Amino acid sequence: MNPVGLWIGVNLQVKSSGITDVGLKRDGNEDSFSIEDSLGIYIVADGMGGHLAGEIASKISVEIINKVFRKWVEKDVSEEDIFGEPDSSLSRKGNYILGGIRLANRVIYELALEKKEYHGMGTTIVVLLVSPSLVIAANVGDSRIYLIRDGEIERLSKDHSIVAEQVEMGMMTEEDAENSPLRHVLTRNLGSSEEVTPDIFEIEPADNDCFILCSDGLTDLVNDQELLDMTKKESDPDALCKNLINVVLRRGAHDNATIISVLLTGIERPKSGIFKKVGFLIEDIIIRLQKSFKKIIQ
Amino acid sequence: MARLVLMFNKQVVKEYPLMKESITIGRNEENTIQISNLAVSGYHARIDVAGNDYILTDLQSTNGTFINDKRIVSQKLSHGDNIIVGKHVILFVGAGAEVAEGKSAGLKTDLDKTMMLDTAKQKELLSKQKDGTQAADATTKIGVISFIEGANVGEVELKKKLTKIGKADTSEIQLSGLFMPATAATISRRPSGYVITTMGGKIKVNGEVIKDSVALKDFDTIEVGKVKFQFYQRETSEKQG
Repeated sequence: MNPVGLWIGVNLQVKSSGITDVGLKRDGNEDSFSIEDSLGIYIVADGMGGHLAGEIASKISVEIINKVFRKWVEKDVSEEDIFGEPDSSLSRKGNYILGGIRLANRVIYELALEKKEYHGMGTTIVVLLVSPSLVIAANVGDSRIYLIRDGEIERLSKDHSIVAEQVEMGMMTEEDAENSPLRHVLTRNLGSSEEVTPDIFEIEPADNDCFILCSDGLTDLVNDQELLDMTKKESDPDALCKNLINVVLRRGAHDNATIISVLLTGIERPKSGIFKKVGFLIEDIIIRLQKSFKKIIQ
Repeated sequence: MARLVLMFNKQVVKEYPLMKESITIGRNEENTIQISNLAVSGYHARIDVAGNDYILTDLQSTNGTFINDKRIVSQKLSHGDNIIVGKHVILFVGAGAEVAEGKSAGLKTDLDKTMMLDTAKQKELLSKQKDGTQAADATTKIGVISFIEGANVGEVELKKKLTKIGKADTSEIQLSGLFMPATAATISRRPSGYVITTMGGKIKVNGEVIKDSVALKDFDTIEVGKVKFQFYQRETSEKQG
């Protein structure tokens, strides 16, 4: 039995859906995505680079990360034996994702150096892993992961772009960033340098968590508030993905757009049971007694 | 009109329109783009106009002129090129992009194309050039919890992305107590900051019982059962991913 089951009702059910669209202005689709419900891993990548290079970069990254993640999980490989130095701030699976992203980066980097037609290719990446006890979100570039929980929307990714970094440093407002001519200039991607540092976050899952992974083809045209409103209206992943793509197309779809939606149900946190309440009450009384007892002896 | 965007440490310093005439880049005041930095030569590089194109030429500078990751002698500029001069990056924004600017979103423009700023090369160059001025190595903050009551642990740095608090041996912060759940709460480090989430324990933040999750602010008081501690953030030299 999963030890997690001691404190979380483990009957995790995951419903997911993904969609990609070339849009109305581009000739080819450089985005790639994957859905692996058996592993709980979801990936979106937005490739860049001439001819077919961007498409190849995004496709290869998705394949590599899925492949090594599966292999490492199946063999329960130690953090020390994956690609690159482990990060002690992360769980083992967090390190698998870190290693997978690093490996994908190295492969694309080497390919781009080797073949002239691949020169300058790169890709963004967002990876989401869901399990009954842990949710891991990782990203490089400006593709995003959103969490919609309890009627609020939160980003679980950090944009690696000049404007996002200026916003973070307080030098630019969000609004200025959206209109800046530099808004699509990335400071990190997979493929442009030998090493890459993804941002990785680990959180605990909750019932009815809805995740959205997407390329900037969505977020250029649909803002965070609209994403929240649309998710509140329709949280079923299939319908949500279709609704979002329809908005993108209605608004001109200047870029490829890719969306994955993941909905978690069946997670119960013991927070309102009668026994629990009685427990809290007794606990309170004991704590008060202890405190007053201490005061008396002082 | 084509433009040059001068940047330092990823921050925009100034924008220069490119007219139909040659310009120079260098430390000397007579340059069109003057950069007061010892890594930049007096007359470092020049940009000439050739029809609709712009040609960048290195003026035999000491530290060289780079376009993206390549050291150049002379090269035609393309939209999105990063010209690297010493510690400064100059982004070349082509005329095509300018024309499209200001029109409604949804039009295909060069600006909608994602480009990569070559910071790796920039960093490599920075490490090679030791002229006294240090690149801003931003210090990052790490969350700390400082125990006030009920546990004699002192301070604990929140080194993990997800810190579990509870009775279980696997907890990063292990607490005892009759009613202490295996995992009472978790503190996660998120893009927006630190967040505490109850996992079945009765958690108070600043005296109020929390329902699910609460974002933590500096010097918030947290109570987990009879254990009381404070949260704050301090600067760390350690790099946080």
